[in-house]
Amino acid sequence: MLQIKPILAALKRHKAGTILIAMQIALTLAIVCNAIFIIHQRLERVQRPTGMVESDLLAIQSRFVGTQETQAGPLVKADLVALRQLPGVQDAVAMNSYPLRGGGWSTGVRTDVDAKNSKAHTTQYFGDEHALGTMALKLIAGRNFRSDEIVEADPQALPDPAVIIVSKALADKMYPDGSALGKTMYIGDSKTPSTIIGIVERLQVPWNGTWSDSFYENSLIQPVQLTSAFTNYLIRAKPGQLADLVKAAPAALVKTNRMRVIPSERGVRTFAEVREYAYKGDRGMAILMGVVCLVLLGITAAGIVGLTSFWVGQRRKQIGVRRALGATKRDILSYFLTENLLIGVAGVVIGALLAVGMNLWLVTQFEMARLSVTYVLIGVVALLGLGQGATLAPAMRASRVSPVEATRSV
Amino acid sequence: MLKMTHLSKVYRTEVVETYALRDFNINVNEGEFVAVTGPSGSGKTTFLTIAGLLETFTGGQYHLDGVEVSNLNDNERSKIRNEKIGFIFQAFNLIPDLNVFDNVEVPLRYRGMKAPERKERIMNALERVGLASRAKHYPAELSGGQQQRVAIARALAGSPRLLLADEPTGNLDTQMARGVMELLEEIHREGATIVMVTHDPELAARAQRNVHIIDGQVVDLAEDPRFHQAVHAARANSPA
Amino acid sequence: MFAYYLQLGLRSLRKNPLLTLLMVLAIGCGVAASMTTYSVFRATSNNPIPQKSSQLYVPQIDNWGPESNEDNKGEPPNAMTYTDAINLMRDKRASHQTALFPAAMSIVPTDPSMLPFRETSYAWYADAFGMFDIPFLYGHAWTSGEDDSHAAVAVIGKTLNDKLFNGTNSVGKNINLNGRDYRIVGVTEKWNPEPVFYDVINTNGFDDPIQVFIPFTRAVELQTTTNGNNNCNHDPGKGWDAWIRSECVWVGFWAELPTKSEAGAYRQYLNGYSAEQQRSGRFRWAPNTRLRNVTEWLDYQKVVPQEAKVSLMVSLGFLLLCLVNTVGLLLAKFMRRSSEIGVRRALGATRKEIYIQFLIEAAAIGLAGGVVGLVLTGFGVMGVSLVFEPDIAKLATLDVSLVLLTMLVAVLATVLAAFYPTWRAAQVQPAWQLKSN
Repeated sequence: MLQIKPILAALKRHKAGTILIAMQIALTLAIVCNAIFIIHQRLERVQRPTGMVESDLLAIQSRFVGTQETQAGPLVKADLVALRQLPGVQDAVAMNSYPLRGGGWSTGVRTDVDAKNSKAHTTQYFGDEHALGTMALKLIAGRNFRSDEIVEADPQALPDPAVIIVSKALADKMYPDGSALGKTMYIGDSKTPSTIIGIVERLQVPWNGTWSDSFYENSLIQPVQLTSAFTNYLIRAKPGQLADLVKAAPAALVKTNRMRVIPSERGVRTFAEVREYAYKGDRGMAILMGVVCLVLLGITAAGIVGLTSFWVGQRRKQIGVRRALGATKRDILSYFLTENLLIGVAGVVIGALLAVGMNLWLVTQFEMARLSVTYVLIGVVALLGLGQGATLAPAMRASRVSPVEATRSV
Repeated sequence: MLKMTHLSKVYRTEVVETYALRDFNINVNEGEFVAVTGPSGSGKTTFLTIAGLLETFTGGQYHLDGVEVSNLNDNERSKIRNEKIGFIFQAFNLIPDLNVFDNVEVPLRYRGMKAPERKERIMNALERVGLASRAKHYPAELSGGQQQRVAIARALAGSPRLLLADEPTGNLDTQMARGVMELLEEIHREGATIVMVTHDPELAARAQRNVHIIDGQVVDLAEDPRFHQAVHAARANSPA
Repeated sequence: MFAYYLQLGLRSLRKNPLLTLLMVLAIGCGVAASMTTYSVFRATSNNPIPQKSSQLYVPQIDNWGPESNEDNKGEPPNAMTYTDAINLMRDKRASHQTALFPAAMSIVPTDPSMLPFRETSYAWYADAFGMFDIPFLYGHAWTSGEDDSHAAVAVIGKTLNDKLFNGTNSVGKNINLNGRDYRIVGVTEKWNPEPVFYDVINTNGFDDPIQVFIPFTRAVELQTTTNGNNNCNHDPGKGWDAWIRSECVWVGFWAELPTKSEAGAYRQYLNGYSAEQQRSGRFRWAPNTRLRNVTEWLDYQKVVPQEAKVSLMVSLGFLLLCLVNTVGLLLAKFMRRSSEIGVRRALGATRKEIYIQFLIEAAAIGLAGGVVGLVLTGFGVMGVSLVFEPDIAKLATLDVSLVLLTMLVAVLATVLAAFYPTWRAAQVQPAWQLKSN
């Protein structure tokens, strides 16, 4: 039975407690909405697939020492030969970068040679015909590079590639009608067209920060073996051989040429480690926000239990009177639940406004997206539920107050 | 209307059993105004709480308006309290958070009555006790006598068959007490059954019938000279 | 009297252990969350060179034009072209100046059994050592003459000196960098400004301390590419010479300008320089330059990580909520004792004494909350590495000042939260509660 008017009348006479509970609910809602939003955003990013088969993949970073920085072509070739001959290796490739590495190349691309502005932004990967197989990308149209299409090039003097392989995201961006295969595009300021000979289902860019969010699946691969002294080797292990390769592969590289530096920190990593490192901040932030949310909800619930218990204690006599006047246990229970619901509704209304305000402020301060209404709604329902749950125990205690309390003097 | 036979109420602690009421027998007829007297601790308040279904009893039988109440569950008891019984407490027991109107409304709310009917009954009851103009006041803004009249209005609003009053004038000065007493008498004349617990012999004398409780049992008044003396003394002192 | 109140407070807290525990935990959690995030915030918003932060400036010159800067609200690029850096170095309009870039240097040990390894290395000018107040353990910086002659000299850090030379004075000895010998002229003391203000662009503000310094001129002569960012608005063309003549930006630049008037003069010089470039046809837009000191530069580059700010905000909100919660619980706790207060007032306690009694009780709760908060902050600081990069996480430490701050915040916050409930308690009329209802 709802008895809103008299409850409101009673609340008016307990302003402090009412305001305190409403404030707690409002603040919790505002923080929890934004925190859950941050968690969701971060997790969404963490769950993005790279497009590669990430198991059995090893990444090694190497820099030759004492060689001209752009003249390391033969050394890289020797490395690749050594790596591909290793017993546990299925395939290997030397690239400028790979998804989630954190650093790489990016450029604008055009479909019209005379266009002033680029049509899309994309990352550039450079690798030979082993790139697709090593990364285990899913080719959904066209073909892989042939070995005769691969050119060796100084990173400071890159040729315009005749053929390229692009990710589906980039292909769709450049040719929205889905006709990208066989068409051409212009990389950077180039006046020479590059023909799209293959489209892979997905290939993520090397970055995972907010700045690359707008083009995180726009990638193209150029059939180029860079001659730079700094190289990233991607190695696909035969099933079950990855653990051995973590030691064997860098050893083979050092054996091939010891005048090199493989950094002791993050120089040799399985792709699982690459992924973990790349998303450490995102996951940590999600965990932090999650913990904050839980503790916050716990504290708010405890606060409601505390204040409601106090109210019940303060009103034992009047509960007894109500019982004497014919209130059933359920009436008393619903009185306190309704009371909390009313306070809760006031709290969530303020809280929703606060949440949106807080989000708008965060948007101006940080690269954050707008809060969607769904989060606020979920938060509203959750907090009203929390309030009811927290009120239940003290309200049950209230309903057990005997009507005989009415005859007792204080 | 109210009939208790061989009723007993035992309070048990770990060490002792205390009989608050023992082989208690009483019969109150419809339309009677009965005053229950007795020294402190005699069990008169226990009697009232059991009569009002505020508490359960240990043994015996209690028929209220022809219904044996010992087997009723909590909800059924609440319903009877709400519909058949009106309470008037010594300490008024108005709810301080609610104004006069809302206080009188409380039992009607629990009866699930529609708003227009509630309002009519509340205003009638308040007019009856002469406080219709104070409907928006809070209890703290009223004198003790006024508060008790609000409590009576609350008891009357539901048109109960039985009115239970526990020392209704105990917290009031003589002047106010007289007003409250006159109100009760008027209500009685209009046909309500009233059972009033009091330790004041003068008040008791104004009832139709007196029941005296000592040590949890009803005693025959005619056989207790102490009581007659007290009544005489009270009448002698009273200017009325 | 204080002891009496404290005793009363403790007794009251013991009487309601659950409520007390709740308050202590709430305050503890709130304080711990804010202190943990504050420790990160403090580390990242630190002034790395307080004695000179208003004398060291980063000049920026717009060599890309309004079209390319659209995304950047018209701000000039964050780094300089080689051309502009060299011109500014040549003009020497500041008392000291340096161009710099992170160079990828590998150290080849003389011991053939040891493999080459990498250390954080920078190429810059001799002036930089003095500008940045870098302390020397042995030797000194190279000379401007050695800058001009592209000399094969190097300064190394203490850590590297310990590793290669067991900490002995290595001045005069050779070190093999990228396969070439350099003569060591100095060994620096441990020098580890946080954040690494001198190269925010390539480090985001946090990196291992530099262990190898070589002359900028030498690095360029050897065509050493930058180990940091290289941004181009147009294709630079093929080869090294094309690249260093291009409009690609990759060089950092610092100028030391001890007074405001010198800074003003330098601003004019930068505009004049840009105007000259416009006249010569290189820039097709009006001069667009900036001159920011260390503090402004760190602020502009948003060195304090987004995470640190967001979590600090969230934590402060969290603390606020814990306080609101505490206000509520204290109110419940104090008002439950209305009758006690009434009796005390009846027995002659003044309002002030009631105030003191309850505030001391609150302070005791705050103190307990502070202890809990301290323990949780300890765990929190350990857990910082979950959220932040190791370079940043290691800066967040639970030092004496943080411990004191934690206790202070806990007690102050609780006492603050107790004001309203205490005020309510003090309003209780003497013995009012003795009357029945």
